[in-house]
Amino acid sequence: MLIMIILAGVALFLIISAIPAITADWSTESQLNTGPTAGFPNFWAYVGPLIWGTLWSAAIALLFGAPIGIGIALFISHYAPRRLASILGYLVDLLAAVPSIVFGLWGIIVIRPFLLPLSDWLAANLGWIPLFGGPVSTTGSTILAGALVLAVMILPIITSISREIFLQTPRLHEEAALALGATRWEMIRMAVFPYAKSGIVSATLLGLGRALGETMAIALIISPAILVSVNLITEGKNSQTIAANIALNFPIATTLQRDALIGTGLMLFVISLAVNSIARVIVGGRKGKRTKSKVSPKSPGPLSRVPAGDFASATALDVVSGRSSAGIADDEGPTPEEDIEGARY
Amino acid sequence: MKFKNVAATGAVFVTVAIALSACSSSSTSGSSTSASTGAASTAVTSTPLDASLTGTITAGGSSAQANAENAWITAYKAQVAGVTVNYDKSQGSGGGVTNWLAGSYDFAGSDAPLKADQQTSSQAICGTGGALNLPVYLDGVALIYNLPGVTTLNLSTDTIAKIFSLAITTWNDPAIVADNPGVTLPATAITTVARSDGSGTTQNFTNFLSAASPTIWTNPASNAWPIKGNVSSQKGGSGVVQAVTAGSGTIGYADHSAIGTATAATVNKVAFSQEGATAAFAAAATTVPTATGDLSQKFDYSKLTGTTVYPIPLISYQIVCTTFKTAAQATLTKSFIGFVASSVGQQVAAKNAGSAPIPDEMLTKVQTALASVK
Repeated sequence: MLIMIILAGVALFLIISAIPAITADWSTESQLNTGPTAGFPNFWAYVGPLIWGTLWSAAIALLFGAPIGIGIALFISHYAPRRLASILGYLVDLLAAVPSIVFGLWGIIVIRPFLLPLSDWLAANLGWIPLFGGPVSTTGSTILAGALVLAVMILPIITSISREIFLQTPRLHEEAALALGATRWEMIRMAVFPYAKSGIVSATLLGLGRALGETMAIALIISPAILVSVNLITEGKNSQTIAANIALNFPIATTLQRDALIGTGLMLFVISLAVNSIARVIVGGRKGKRTKSKVSPKSPGPLSRVPAGDFASATALDVVSGRSSAGIADDEGPTPEEDIEGARY
Repeated sequence: MKFKNVAATGAVFVTVAIALSACSSSSTSGSSTSASTGAASTAVTSTPLDASLTGTITAGGSSAQANAENAWITAYKAQVAGVTVNYDKSQGSGGGVTNWLAGSYDFAGSDAPLKADQQTSSQAICGTGGALNLPVYLDGVALIYNLPGVTTLNLSTDTIAKIFSLAITTWNDPAIVADNPGVTLPATAITTVARSDGSGTTQNFTNFLSAASPTIWTNPASNAWPIKGNVSSQKGGSGVVQAVTAGSGTIGYADHSAIGTATAATVNKVAFSQEGATAAFAAAATTVPTATGDLSQKFDYSKLTGTTVYPIPLISYQIVCTTFKTAAQATLTKSFIGFVASSVGQQVAAKNAGSAPIPDEMLTKVQTALASVK
């Protein structure tokens, strides 16, 4: 309840502050046609490219960060020897403790020069693809570098949440799969992933949330321009993100320019809200479907055979995961599909 | 177990913090340590300081004068131990003025004097007398470049305008060759490096470009870099310096006091020197008051053509009310700015922050203006 009030308060503040800039005519208003906001006919022309830049950089970061993060989580939870797993898990958690300005400096000093040969190569050989269109950057301050650093920054969030979810996979599910002759990877596909799917989605979306709002690293690393562009390795065509744009221009902004920047912040707020709602719909939608159709075709999977008649393990299952036991309780027997699947082993 | 985790994480934090502070002290706050020694050796000031003053001065704004501000504060505190001066450089010039107009600061540091509408709104906190822009910090905008094989580079005003407006795109362009007889220039593409954040340095540099080369540089002077296209935009002066030195064929602009070991080009064959900047101020700055007694400066760049004056000076101001809310706070602030605008104060900044001393004639005017502050 308190959180709702705070959230509503923030939204109200953003809306009230932003209204003067949103309603103003940017081409004639003397405070808005100079400095950082010069050259835009109205608020929407200004915020549009920023929204694109925010989503674009976060999407690239997610493209690199999510598979790696989930992979690391899986390695820690199911492959690594116990001692290595705890060290690795600890290290990844530490990654979350590094301040974003340090990531920014790391990006400037290490990642930018490191990526220069790659971007030169991409421009020379794949320059005909719009993504890698030139002119290629000579300082390395590209959105590619920024997004890669972002990917590292969202890694600990995705990894630690997925790891926790993976570790919660009921042991019986896993052992059942193994007992049926599944290899470890098959076991993960049959028992762990179905169980953890919604958790992985939430982890990824939390990572996305972090990537959307990340300010300092992006502000330091990329050479921004307020335009819509998909170019990855140029100097002057990197779409700026909302958060970095606010950080860069707030100090010199005049009163109306501040309102305009707060307006872009409102848009970021709306985007984050949308991302969260989508996450809820995805997670909640799956649950809803399951309760409606009673039988979920895949997630209880092979293990539905295991606890049948085994009171102790059924109770244990109930304790470990309230969610899938509901599915099991409703499950009256293997579906034909499961039979076919099971027959393979 | 939980506690252990926390402790270990804390340890890492501390390590990072130490590493960070070590970083910053090597570049910036090294100046403030030497400031105290500088102050110790020059204990005499032209304005007598009242050592019995106590209180706190709250200020903020321009990051360009931050290093000088540190040096001033350290030197001032060495003599008036009871006064604490807090200068928040994270605000930038615009934020400094905004906070000052809101009544949170005793003075604002700003690279641009108050605009007419700001001067008007300052009457809300300063009374009908309005505010005073006091020039206290002088530096130059340096043009730094990194072009392997080229160790000296000279650029004329028009060539600078062409390069930064992207009219020239390679280093062996005839215009650059003409400025550098005898120097072999490669056909490398030029990458101009500018500030991505709004900045007083950008304001001063575009002032220069639009005034000195109006036919080539057709953009208005602005605190945000106006050129779109193949421009590398970096955060902060240090970001520009980093990108220029890390890149190849790069050229950028930055406060001279912030360029470190980067190579600076000569402008019209004049290299930056503190004397050159001071001479430029003396030769070309005229007072354009926005209120009675105000000392806003405007440069006549056409006068900056000699061989002894640096063509792109940079001024930063401290902005105060003509009438403070309390007499005690007025006394404190006058005492501090009085020290800043003394010859000794200017020498402290010159020595520790690399700025150029403001000419004595102007310092006298600042002291006079300050005396009228109530």
